[in-house]
Amino acid sequence: MLDVQGDFRCCDRCTGNATAVRASRRRMLKAAVRTTHDGSSDPEADQAADFPTPGKLPRAVTGTVRDVSPHVLVIGNGASETRIALTSDATAWRGAPLDPSGVQPGDQAVVRLRPSQRSVADRIWANIGRVTGVIIEREADSLLVDEGKTKPRQLVTIPGAASGRVQVRFPNLEPGYLLDVIGVRRPGELEARIPATSQPAYPVDQMPTPPMVTGRVPAAISGSATWHEPVDEPPGLLGVSYPALDPGSGCAEDPVGSVAPQFVRMPYLAVGSVLQVSNDCAKSSCTLSVTGCAAIARLFNDRCVTCGTSPRGRIADLTQASFIALGGELERGCFNATITIGR
Amino acid sequence: MLGHAVLEIREAQVPLLSAMLLGGCAAKLARILRVGSMDAGLGPTALFPLRLRRPVAITTCAVEFACGVALIVTAGGLGRGGPATAVRLATSLLFLVATCALIELRTSHPETGCGCFGEFSRAPVSGRTLARSAFFAAAALGTIGLPPLRAPHPGADAARLLGIFAIELAVIALLSPELGEALTRLGYSEPCELRRLPTVRTLAALRRSSQWRKRAWLITTEVPVDMWRELCWRYVVFPARIGDRATEIIFAVYLRPHRPVINSALVDSATGEVLAWPAAPARRRRLFAAKPLWAGPGSAGAGGVSADAGSDSASAPRGGHGPASGTGPGPGSGLGPGGRRIPAGMLSAPSDPGYHIPTVMREPPAHSSPDDLPFSSDL
Repeated sequence: MLDVQGDFRCCDRCTGNATAVRASRRRMLKAAVRTTHDGSSDPEADQAADFPTPGKLPRAVTGTVRDVSPHVLVIGNGASETRIALTSDATAWRGAPLDPSGVQPGDQAVVRLRPSQRSVADRIWANIGRVTGVIIEREADSLLVDEGKTKPRQLVTIPGAASGRVQVRFPNLEPGYLLDVIGVRRPGELEARIPATSQPAYPVDQMPTPPMVTGRVPAAISGSATWHEPVDEPPGLLGVSYPALDPGSGCAEDPVGSVAPQFVRMPYLAVGSVLQVSNDCAKSSCTLSVTGCAAIARLFNDRCVTCGTSPRGRIADLTQASFIALGGELERGCFNATITIGR
Repeated sequence: MLGHAVLEIREAQVPLLSAMLLGGCAAKLARILRVGSMDAGLGPTALFPLRLRRPVAITTCAVEFACGVALIVTAGGLGRGGPATAVRLATSLLFLVATCALIELRTSHPETGCGCFGEFSRAPVSGRTLARSAFFAAAALGTIGLPPLRAPHPGADAARLLGIFAIELAVIALLSPELGEALTRLGYSEPCELRRLPTVRTLAALRRSSQWRKRAWLITTEVPVDMWRELCWRYVVFPARIGDRATEIIFAVYLRPHRPVINSALVDSATGEVLAWPAAPARRRRLFAAKPLWAGPGSAGAGGVSADAGSDSASAPRGGHGPASGTGPGPGSGLGPGGRRIPAGMLSAPSDPGYHIPTVMREPPAHSSPDDLPFSSDL
């Protein structure tokens, strides 16, 4: 039996209200020291620094399905309930495409609302889950996956029907190799259905060396943007986990006294830094705060092929709400993205 | 004459092979120490299952070390006959096996480096790498049957030996892709955005600066309440007090090892308003110019307003990443970057335990909201 306990510890670096407080406070203090020395700031840049504008990007609602009928979906979150209208063009997913009324009470749902009609569902993902990490143990069709020190270990089962599809993209389902699959959440495990990327050919201890960067690091960096399941994040948080937090205070996964593995050379930032994230496929963008560390994302040198082929490397690991707001489809796993730092 | 020259060439192989073996072993050990794990090996260990890689890496390193030392020990009269021949045969076998392993590695793992010299051998195995390994195998075979080595006579003998070393090292350099990597690293200057500079050095540089000397009399604790980095700047926040008014001083320290540019600003803890610097009382100014120390709460004067811009260096770095290029609300607005008012409680957030900095806790006002980050419900 695979042991899923591990040494999971959620420390200060997990995203929660404390991180949200720190992020906004840091932005304010940085703005203070900037304005003190530079006088008035560039109005165009000010405009670019705005956070998502209400009514322009899709909103996501997360919660447990309390009731469903052909025309109405009731989502509960704690004591609150949200009634969402289902129209004929709404679609749903639960391991495979599904009629929206096929969603069942008790399912954990992520609902994308229409930007123009806030009470109408556009798409529903029921019990969707994702595991991205390093395989640490294998037993028959079950894999134990390490998603980093701030997340619990994940048990992934690969049912026979999905085995071929997963193994085409992940030929090395052995300890030491990377795994990234999307599937259906069951109690205590994820049932893999879709490979979220193609498996890098190397085990994590033999990562290719990133190219040396000279001169200034470009302000805009292109690559793949992915999403992650919330562990300690407030529901609906618009934020991004960044792969290159300052080594002086960075990820819990950083090796002591040495350089953390990283495929894409990205400038060091901190929780609270602001990024403009653009979905190159949907042509939408918004400004997001760094709310966490993407320790596992930096191990992947994969490409996103949602629209064309992105440059290698994962540059942002978005919260579900951010991914949806930027026009991403959760079951696709990624979109081609460009991040602009400091604007 | 030709026979004598061939003998000298064969004799030169013993110290060269020993140096290469010990160098390779040292480079591998350096990588292991840096990465902190034997499992993180390179080269032919990739041909083995994961559980065997560690013992294979240890064995390879140990064999290289043993052969390198044994070649030197048995070079003179001590290893005459059997022991010297056995060591040289073992060395030849090691290089022959290595050549075969590299051929296999090139076929089955074309993207993997040979790992011969640890960190430097990350480039995929090429014809040059194979040729070098075969060259070493031939050199080791050439040493079998040599008589014990003698120190060369000063003059022509020594010069000839030096010439042989020089030519052979040039050949090895030509066959070594690692040399290009090493030269690139020697001439590489990391951009400031990627530079790793410990927080301790930032704090030391800050405490040596004139900015610190000018502001230290306002600061109420010796440890910062928050510290973080963005691009080329590290921001350090200290609590301060002007009369009864709780404030915070933020220093922006440019990330370079020596004499960094330092900017600073004074902010009201309750409202987030950017404040003008108060003039230090004359006595305090002298005191803190001599020795910056903690002034203690409530000890600061709230006298006249200083027009000092609060910058530590005239050579502020140019470029788009940093306080000189920032965006944000105007001074005194009390607004966050999104145009939203920053709740007062935000200014009292605890410090990050990751910095090993003691936390300065203050209760946020009751009206403050903890979640100033945007949420999906705001869309």
